[in-house]
Amino acid sequence: MATYKQIQGTAVQNYTNDPANPVKGQLWYNDTANSFKYSSISTTGSWSTGGDLNTARDDLGGAGIQTAALGFGGFSPPYQALTESYDGTSWTEVNDLNTARRTGGSNGTQTSALYYGGQPTPTGSIITESWNGTSWTEVNDLNRNLAYYLAGAGADNTSALAFGGGTDNPVPVTSETELWNGTSWTEVNDLNTARAELAGAGIQTAALAFGGDLLPGSQAVTESWNGTSWTEVNDLNLGRDRLGGAGTQTSALAFGGFNAPDFQTFYTESWNGTSWSTGNNLNTGRGEVGSAGSSNTSSLAFGGATPSQTAATEEWGAGAIITKTITTS
Amino acid sequence: MAKTYQYCVAENWGKGFIEHSESQKITFRGYPANVWQVPAHNKNANVWINKVLGQVKTKDEAQALVDAEVTASQTAWDNNNAIDGETIEQKIDRIGERPQDITLEE
Repeated sequence: MATYKQIQGTAVQNYTNDPANPVKGQLWYNDTANSFKYSSISTTGSWSTGGDLNTARDDLGGAGIQTAALGFGGFSPPYQALTESYDGTSWTEVNDLNTARRTGGSNGTQTSALYYGGQPTPTGSIITESWNGTSWTEVNDLNRNLAYYLAGAGADNTSALAFGGGTDNPVPVTSETELWNGTSWTEVNDLNTARAELAGAGIQTAALAFGGDLLPGSQAVTESWNGTSWTEVNDLNLGRDRLGGAGTQTSALAFGGFNAPDFQTFYTESWNGTSWSTGNNLNTGRGEVGSAGSSNTSSLAFGGATPSQTAATEEWGAGAIITKTITTS
Repeated sequence: MAKTYQYCVAENWGKGFIEHSESQKITFRGYPANVWQVPAHNKNANVWINKVLGQVKTKDEAQALVDAEVTASQTAWDNNNAIDGETIEQKIDRIGERPQDITLEE
């Protein structure tokens, strides 16, 4: 009969303590625990630390994916025009926004992004700026009167959806939704629940809106956009506002945020296209967090309020090497 | 009462400070003033504290450090009165909510 070494090419080693850096599939015997152990790849996600922003701030916009992201605007104080680019390890400052502001909606990639609305003053704005990978250019405004703490979705600077947010009259929050075609905004069907401080994920034809605030009142409401209208789907497990959001309509991540009365949360929830499930917490609890990411298995959280402004960045991913113990019955 | 958590102070240096493999094993909670909460009586937590050269603090010492930073944030918020006649609601619109106290657990 073939031995383990003949099959695997290595012998099973004895260790007093588990090896510090086992490789995937490695098997060993732990003398202290009197048990066989092996290393495996985790299928559940978790947060690890990434490189800090150069300037700590909250309420900033975000675009891109975990290894190629863009963070812009925010509040330090004062309101910021700063733009920083992330390469998967560190942030580099690039060209500023034309108008310093926070709490705008955003979408796109590291090389093609859009930032709309937000607060250059406390009352908000309808300014839209387009990023071409090098610099920001002001383009046509949103149609509404004012917009801040709104959310966005969209593939790049030619295709976006802006929804919800704070406004002026007659109520402080709106359900308005607008569609960007690369040149101008068009008003389309409203959210079912008007709210501000919500998060978004997805693209112009398939988006997700989740969480938010009725001013006052943190929300767990989730709505799905099919390109024409919003449909209410399953709620978040924990209602919160000023949270981070990333991913797609069928694979999204919600993280951080505030829940009443105003406590910054560590919570992470994963959306599988049907429902939210709770996952491993952020390492640094925060609201007003910047976000980027492609799915519920790969996202980025940066900046935010802890309650003071933080520069901390965290990377969400699965695939960590974990140790398992072999048990017999 | 047995401790559930232990605290340390360590500066987050970014990539590698907390690895995915570590946050799979234990729950971290980072607070202001570089205060980190990890499980007490836990080998993986102790290994991580050694890795980051964390200075172990009692819960009361950690709470004092967090309080000092939160108080500084609250004072900065209270003193930010740039606009005459501004209401609390207008101030919140301008600079956000007043930072809330944080209470660490035993």
